Amino acid sequence: MAMKQARVGLLVAAALVAMPVTALAQPKAAQPKAQAGKNPKDTSKDKPAAAPAAGEAKEVNLEGADAPKDGSTTPVGGDAAAPGGDGSGLGDICVIDPTACPTIDMDKAANRDMHVQMYAVQQIYALRNHRFEVNPYFGITMNDQFVAHPGPGLAVNWYITNVLAIGVNGNFYAGLNSNSAFNLQTSRAARVGEPITEYQWNANANFSYIPAYGKFSGLGDFIFHYDFFVLGGVGAISTRPIAVVDPDNRTFTFKPKVSFHVGGGLRIFFNRWLAATLEVSDYLFFDELENPSIALGTDPKTSKPLAQDSSTWLDPGGASFTNNVQAQLGLSVFLPFSWEYRLPK
Amino acid sequence: MMRRFVKSVLAGLAGLAALTALSTGAEAQEIQLTGPLAGAPAVRKLRLHRAGRFEIAPGVSFSLLDQYRRTLLPGAALTYHVTDWLGFGVWGGFGIAYNAGLADELQTKAIDGRDCANKPFSKACKLTATNLTHGKIADDQLGKLQWIVSPQVTVVPFRGKLALFSSLFVDTDVNIFAGPAFIGLQERADCGADSDGVKLAVTCADQKSFTLASRVAVTGTFGLGLNFYPSSFVGFGFEFRALPFAWNTSGFDNHGGGTNGDFPDLNVNSADRELHFNSMVTVHASFQFPTAIKTTD
Repeated sequence: MAMKQARVGLLVAAALVAMPVTALAQPKAAQPKAQAGKNPKDTSKDKPAAAPAAGEAKEVNLEGADAPKDGSTTPVGGDAAAPGGDGSGLGDICVIDPTACPTIDMDKAANRDMHVQMYAVQQIYALRNHRFEVNPYFGITMNDQFVAHPGPGLAVNWYITNVLAIGVNGNFYAGLNSNSAFNLQTSRAARVGEPITEYQWNANANFSYIPAYGKFSGLGDFIFHYDFFVLGGVGAISTRPIAVVDPDNRTFTFKPKVSFHVGGGLRIFFNRWLAATLEVSDYLFFDELENPSIALGTDPKTSKPLAQDSSTWLDPGGASFTNNVQAQLGLSVFLPFSWEYRLPK
Repeated sequence: MMRRFVKSVLAGLAGLAALTALSTGAEAQEIQLTGPLAGAPAVRKLRLHRAGRFEIAPGVSFSLLDQYRRTLLPGAALTYHVTDWLGFGVWGGFGIAYNAGLADELQTKAIDGRDCANKPFSKACKLTATNLTHGKIADDQLGKLQWIVSPQVTVVPFRGKLALFSSLFVDTDVNIFAGPAFIGLQERADCGADSDGVKLAVTCADQKSFTLASRVAVTGTFGLGLNFYPSSFVGFGFEFRALPFAWNTSGFDNHGGGTNGDFPDLNVNSADRELHFNSMVTVHASFQFPTAIKTTD
């Protein structure tokens, strides 16, 4: 409770400070509901203090007013004497501020065309259009049983539209690769040396698309929003074999290779600019593996053992197509933090 | 829990939001603290896809992150939902196992390539006598899931809707489930000595020891599902399920000897079982009965 009060206090303070600079919420509240959908253009910004012309409808909050139950006409305001002078209902505002006295013909209002269409998602909670997304995350290996390639990563996206973005992402693996116990056990039991590699980094340029978004009611008490996204891109990954067949002679250096990136994930919004992101990405590339055989003999020119000739260290069978599938869990921060909706609904 | 977490995050970031508000917009005003919606339920006219209904959900499960054998499980779940957020039911499936890449590689390189049936004197064959069959590795020693049955409790903490391509809208919910699981499996039969040290009739170097034995493992299962309801009584969904339990997937002698039993002891028994976080995804259709659906106020 105290935490909630502190939050409210901070927010109110922030709003008070920000009000002289900008007041995003106010123009929306001044929009006549009866005209919503017909004329969304808001003119109240230009004439915030102007008195309404005779007969011109002015916004009134019917949800908060004591509307007559019998449906009888209730002329309010206008040139007539302020109704409700008895200190109750809509008339109060006419006493306090005649220029703000609401004028509304209740019969006319009741008979107006109703735009009853409801949208499944009335107003997208977190607009992405023309915003940056900064997504730090940590990735873990999903499909390599022999060597784990965990590592931190960062993605930055720019949303061209609300559902389409371009961006870059990168992962840093150096120093975090680790051989698994499974690798040791398999090698020991079956006497086979499985060629393994370690990664240094990768970087990709991506397109992201958001085909689905929605909202959930949590425990019937609160609502949060989420979306699903897919992405694809191209980039590079730096890898090298780990010498297991002839570690005495072989030392490999990292080399970048062209990689392709496909993935998808789920984004859950905590508020309009902060979200948790869970992504599964597959980085596809042709990896160089260690030669399972050791070259015998010596080089006639140098008299050095062929086993020390680096040209004999890689698998002569060529590069191996590799899927590096990883799960990535992180946070997304959208910048700027706030925006203005183009339409009120 | 989620609510508390969200509140904690919001409270922690409130200061940052206030500072941000100095130079940007009055974003915080979007929070409905007062007004006609204050105290109103989060959702009105909620369609109750589960409350008081039976749900039959046939589907197919695919095991994940398998080392030697993958499993495909056709199966189904039957659930009765007492309320829209609580249900009781049972899920089960029959396993169809097939080789992962490593099993094929071992068969090709370590078994067929060495031809130990005809060259038992070779060094590689001697060193792998207790661990590799001379026949088919999948049939003789690799563990496989045969069937799974799990009574389970289902809780639905999140209800909502999804917009697909901004044009198709569908009711969705997220369910979590948990319960005991009974798993019928096959793994390499004990050989050499059992886990109590009692000598068995067949040594593990004997090719007769390369045979599978059946047993039932009992463990817990839990997971999370995402469900879609395009109509009032037909839906579909995806599910992630975890089944952590110990079993010997390879048929190798990996444990039982040395310090803490971390080294081979020339016996294959329960000491060679390792805890695996077995997991699978399920794709299913769902049918709710009765077909009529209720809604909230």
